[in-house]
Amino acid sequence: MRRVRGKLLLFTAVVVVAAGCATGEEWSTWYEHRTHFASYEHLTFSTRNTEGSAPKVTRQDITLARDEGWWGKPITVSQEQILER
Amino acid sequence: MKGRRAVAVVLALLTLTGGVAFAAPPNDRVLAADQYTTDKSRRLGATHVRALQDLNAGIYHCWPWVETQKSSIGFYRPKGAQQDDRYLAIRIYIEQDPSPVFGKMKFEERSAAMFSRYVGPLLKRMTRDDALANDPSLDGFTAILEWMKQAPPINGRPVHETVAIFIDKASALDYLAGRADIRTLAGRARVLGFDGETALGPITLAPT
Repeated sequence: MRRVRGKLLLFTAVVVVAAGCATGEEWSTWYEHRTHFASYEHLTFSTRNTEGSAPKVTRQDITLARDEGWWGKPITVSQEQILER
Repeated sequence: MKGRRAVAVVLALLTLTGGVAFAAPPNDRVLAADQYTTDKSRRLGATHVRALQDLNAGIYHCWPWVETQKSSIGFYRPKGAQQDDRYLAIRIYIEQDPSPVFGKMKFEERSAAMFSRYVGPLLKRMTRDDALANDPSLDGFTAILEWMKQAPPINGRPVHETVAIFIDKASALDYLAGRADIRTLAGRARVLGFDGETALGPITLAPT
């Protein structure tokens, strides 16, 4: 009885893992966009704020978003084009 | 019972100190004194470091829609200046919702709108410290205002519009003392425009 239960568990685990496996193409897509999240904080922010829910944004989120370029590195003038130290 | 109270006190202290650290503004926004290239600027940077940190903290806490970057605040020299003129400079990125009205304006009109919204309050914050405002080595003020251009991103990168505003000290003090209004100040300021990385040269702010 214990053996049967063990085999069932193993089978279920294999099915779950196999169902969750990505194809080669999917892995390739992920690999090309693995920098989708700039940091762990960015990932946390995105999972916390899903579409349709009221956004929860902290002051630190705003600062990190700019520093780490969460929404893309902007095209802008450099400080050295305007000022000298 | 004593033990529980001690745990509560420790937890409260941890929460409070953790909260303070969490709420603190980034400490790299002010240019470090050893990064300047002349004695005059090094002295200004070292003397007024506290005032600049207070300016940074004030912006961080009071204007949450505004962002500064690393070394955004300091006693910089306008590029190409003939002598070692030192202006207290701050560069801010202004976060705002897209607005069709704002987007349809000419660049000079958008710049003028930003000037009238931010330059006065910035000058007031920049001169809050009397010792800094009255330092004879300080020659003027620079405000660099940046916002997102209402245009499609280029290769996934948003484009920013920027104006760099240089105001000599006498003009700034006239404005702050009420001897000149914001339009007069705009007329006396030197303003450079930038579309993304492209310099547009000196611009005249459109009347608002």
